[in-house]
Amino acid sequence: MAAAALPPFGHIFIGEKWRQSPLVSSLKGGGVKLLFESELGVADFHLANKTCILYVSECDIVAANSYKRKLVLFRNASSSFQKLVLVENTRLSEQYFSTVQKFVMFDLGLPLLPVGGQAEASQLITQMVLGDGRDNPFRRTASSRMLDPAVLAVVQQVPGVGRIKALALLQRFCSIQRLCNAAPPELEPIVGQATAQQIHNFFHKPTAAGT
Amino acid sequence: FNTSVSEPLAPLGSVSILADSRCISTGVDLMTSLRHRHSATVHVCSLDGSYFIVSNRMAVERHSQSDLAAVQNRKRLAERMSSLQRLFERICLIVERDRSKPGDASRPFQRTRFYDSTIAGLVRTGVHLLWSDGAEESAGLLADIARLEQRKGHAITVPLEVKGQHREQALQLYLGLPSVNYAHALNMSHNFKSIAQLINSSVEAIQKGGCMNQSRAEEIYRALRYSCDSFFLNTSKAGKNS
Repeated sequence: MAAAALPPFGHIFIGEKWRQSPLVSSLKGGGVKLLFESELGVADFHLANKTCILYVSECDIVAANSYKRKLVLFRNASSSFQKLVLVENTRLSEQYFSTVQKFVMFDLGLPLLPVGGQAEASQLITQMVLGDGRDNPFRRTASSRMLDPAVLAVVQQVPGVGRIKALALLQRFCSIQRLCNAAPPELEPIVGQATAQQIHNFFHKPTAAGT
Repeated sequence: FNTSVSEPLAPLGSVSILADSRCISTGVDLMTSLRHRHSATVHVCSLDGSYFIVSNRMAVERHSQSDLAAVQNRKRLAERMSSLQRLFERICLIVERDRSKPGDASRPFQRTRFYDSTIAGLVRTGVHLLWSDGAEESAGLLADIARLEQRKGHAITVPLEVKGQHREQALQLYLGLPSVNYAHALNMSHNFKSIAQLINSSVEAIQKGGCMNQSRAEEIYRALRYSCDSFFLNTSKAGKNS
């Protein structure tokens, strides 16, 4: 099965049944190179970025033409590819769209993108194929944020403690945990008796019954 | 046992949803529908952005189609997504069809290459997209997602409010901890006897009490024990770092 292989960059594997379709000519027009493939299983397209796509047409939806069975097969097919469902949402099929969406998203847990027809689908696929080399502005970035300012901000949440006192307290106790576990007499030299008691109470006073 | 029996708990079969106060101005119809048609328990609070929290791990934002299509919104949207990704395991965008004004010859939305690349980028990052025709449908989708999250065991099960000044202050302190979202902070407020109990808890206890995953609990555990750098403190004191 060709499913294990990836098309080269800028190419897609496309099911045989799409030959002669408007989608094919507009994909070609958009600069996507097509490799026809008869072994894609239920999927219609395989992209180089490891996405496989199932196309649900207006006709499938209106005729209730066993598209649910096809979707289930698609979902259950073992594959390391990211699965994606394109659904034709047209004047004819729009009354069924919310049912289809609920089935695809909530029952099967697959991502769904609506398209107005083959022309829109080909534009979208073209962006997926050719835009993939560019940086995705939404990619997750590992954030390594400095903890020091966050810790300082947390200490300033203690009532009666502003920036100056928070800095002095952290200089003496270093961490939130050590500050929390300090006895009032240890806090007193830094913030005075009243605030020392207030800080201690704040950390130790019951907030909930707990379990 | 929880002493706070007087606080509103979601009735059985109902779902709990938190909404940022900014969601009201843009979505009165949606809020009304959530409460009355879908009998969701909605609590309005102040979040760090205009979004909904439907479970301990999932946030939902609502955008119009033209919003996503506008070039000038891309940077802000990317920043929003990355800040939500720090706080939540799952993010969902409800994309709403633009409402045509009455009398306005409805111009069908024109997909652009830019719009398509935005959609493709979002899907690629694992953002869940849901498609809606308007406020009413969006309310239904929100309730559906919340119910799905409930079935999977991620529902917010503690009361959506804390009562009293001290509890409110504790909630604010929890929100300042790294990677803690409002639902985690609520869970911690209700499940730990005191702030000191949370601070001295093991990673496992933080994970359980905060209803969060292990890596998040580890991050909190580390932050609570983190020793501030004396150089940072000195420069902050001198005002150079403020």
